[in-house]
Amino acid sequence: MPTDDRDTPDERPEPTGPPAVSRFEYNLLRLLRFLLGHMPAEQVQTLIYQRVSPPPPCLSRTCTGLAQDTLSKAVVLSLVRAGGWRREKFLRHGQPTDGRVWERVPLEDRTLAFSPQPLAFVFWLTAEKPTDAKEAWEPARSPLTAADELFFAYALDALRPLHDVHPTLVRKNAFERNPFCWLLSPGDFCETDDLELPDFAPLFHGERAALLECLQPVLAQRWVRSERGKGQIADWRRMRHQGRAEQAALSAFLKAAEASRRQDLARFVLKAATTILGGTAELTPHYWTGGLQGAGPQRLADRLDTQRSALALPRQLAQLQEWDRAARRVGYFDDDYAASQLWKADWEHARGDEAAAKARRLMEQLDPLHT
Amino acid sequence: MSRAYRITVKESETRELRGSDEICTQLELLGILPPEAMGKLLADELKGRGFAENEDGSLSRKDGKLTVTVDPCNGEVSVKSEVQEAVTIEVKREASGYDDVGPGVEGVRERTRIDLKKDIDKKAERETERLQSQATEALEKHLAELQPELSQVVNKITREALKEKAKQMGTITEIAEDAESGDMLIRIEV
Repeated sequence: MPTDDRDTPDERPEPTGPPAVSRFEYNLLRLLRFLLGHMPAEQVQTLIYQRVSPPPPCLSRTCTGLAQDTLSKAVVLSLVRAGGWRREKFLRHGQPTDGRVWERVPLEDRTLAFSPQPLAFVFWLTAEKPTDAKEAWEPARSPLTAADELFFAYALDALRPLHDVHPTLVRKNAFERNPFCWLLSPGDFCETDDLELPDFAPLFHGERAALLECLQPVLAQRWVRSERGKGQIADWRRMRHQGRAEQAALSAFLKAAEASRRQDLARFVLKAATTILGGTAELTPHYWTGGLQGAGPQRLADRLDTQRSALALPRQLAQLQEWDRAARRVGYFDDDYAASQLWKADWEHARGDEAAAKARRLMEQLDPLHT
Repeated sequence: MSRAYRITVKESETRELRGSDEICTQLELLGILPPEAMGKLLADELKGRGFAENEDGSLSRKDGKLTVTVDPCNGEVSVKSEVQEAVTIEVKREASGYDDVGPGVEGVRERTRIDLKKDIDKKAERETERLQSQATEALEKHLAELQPELSQVVNKITREALKEKAKQMGTITEIAEDAESGDMLIRIEV
C-alpha cells in the first residue's frame, strides 16, 4: 500500500486536535473498524457499495498510522475477549501449561505481524464496489502471516450479512485457502462438490497455535450455533454440501492436530459436540435434518449421504474417542504421558464417552442395514 | 408468389438406459478371534447362504435386480440395485416454411432434426429417471429383507467365534444355547 512520505511529523506542525485524514481515508478507517467487528454492517453499507473514482494514489502517514493502531489493538482485544483471558491449560513443548494466554505463550510466539495485504484489501473495498468492481482485488502472491489470516477470517465474517458481497469474495485465496475461515465457517465454501481444503498443519505451530488457543471458545460457540441451525435448512443440496465441507474440514483438522500432537487444540470440537449431545435427551437425526423439505434426491444413496453429512460434527466423536483410547495406553514413563493425561482430563470433563455413545446410536439410526 | 410448405420429421433411437442405487454399511463383528479367523467364519457362513466368491476375495449374491457384496476381510457390505433397459424413443415434429423466404426445405429439416435430438435426450432423461426410481424402490424393498439376514449372520459367527475361542482356552464341557433369547452358556475346563 503506497503511503505519502511528505506527511511526516517533521514537515507538518504538531496537530492540536484529533488527527486529520481525507474523506476517503476516513471511510477506509470506518470500514476497517467494521471488518474487525467494531461496527454493524448497516452503518457502513453505503460505503461498501459506493465507488470512489479515481481513488487517491496513496494514503497519508496519519491514516496508515491510525490503521496500524486499529489493527493491532482491535485484533489483540478480540483475541483476549474470545478466550485469551481465560486461565486454560494447553500444551507447550509437550507439557501442559496453565494460565492466561500471555502467561502461557512467550512473547515471540504471540507477536502479531501484519503484511500490507489487509490494508490493501480495505483500500480496495473503500475504492471499489465489490459487487461490480472495475478492478478485481487479487491478494499478492506472498504468503499471508498468521495475523493476516486472522484479519481475513474476521473480515469474511463481518461481510457475511451482505449477501451479494460475501459470495464474490469468498473464492479469493485470502479466504478460501485460509484455515481460520474454514474453521469458523466451512459452510462458506460449500457451493461445489470439489472442495479445496487449506493446509491445517501450520495452525499447530508458532503464532497460529496461540491464536487457535484464544479462539477455542468462539469456535466451539460457532459450531454449536451451526449445528443448531441445521434444523432450519430446507434444501437437500445445501445440506449435503455444507455437511461435506464440515466433514472434510474437521477430518483434515483433526488429522493435522494428531500429526502435530496438539490434540488440545481440537478441544473446541469436543466441546461443541458434547454441548449438542449432552443432557438427558436422546437426539435423533431429525434434530439435524428435520427442516429438509420434500422427498429429497431420488437415489437412496444420495438421501443417506445427505443425512450422514448433516451429522458431520457428531461423527468426529469416534476419532476423539480413539484419541482417548490411545491416551489410556500411554505409560507413565512414555514421552507423551503429560499430553495424553491432558486429553484424558478433557475427555472425562466433557463426558466424552457418553456423547460418543449417543453419536454412535445416531449414526446407527441412519444405517438401514445396521446389524 | 410464395408457397408455404409443411414437413414432418420423425426420429427414432434405441438407447440402453440404466438406473442404479447403492448403499454400503459395515458389519459389526466383534474381535473375538483374529481378523483372518473372523473373516473365514464370515465367508463360510455367507457361502452357505448362496454367496459366491469373487476374484478379489469378496463374496456376492445376486437377488434379482440386486447384488449384495460382502468383503469378509473388513465386513464391508454393499447392496447395489441396477435396472437396465433398451428403450426405443420415437419423436415427431412438424415444421413449416416458405419456398422463397427464410431457410429452404433442407434448412428447416435440419433445424427440426436438431430439435428432435433434444427431444430424444429429454425423453431419455425421463426414462432414466423412471428406471432410477425402479432401482431405488427395489433397493428399499430388499433392505427390509436383508437386514434380518445380516443380523442372523453376525449372531451366528459371533457364536461360532465364541465356541472356537472357548476351545482354544480349554476343554468344553457344556454348551447351552437359547435360540429365543440368544443366550449362550459355555463351560470349559482349563
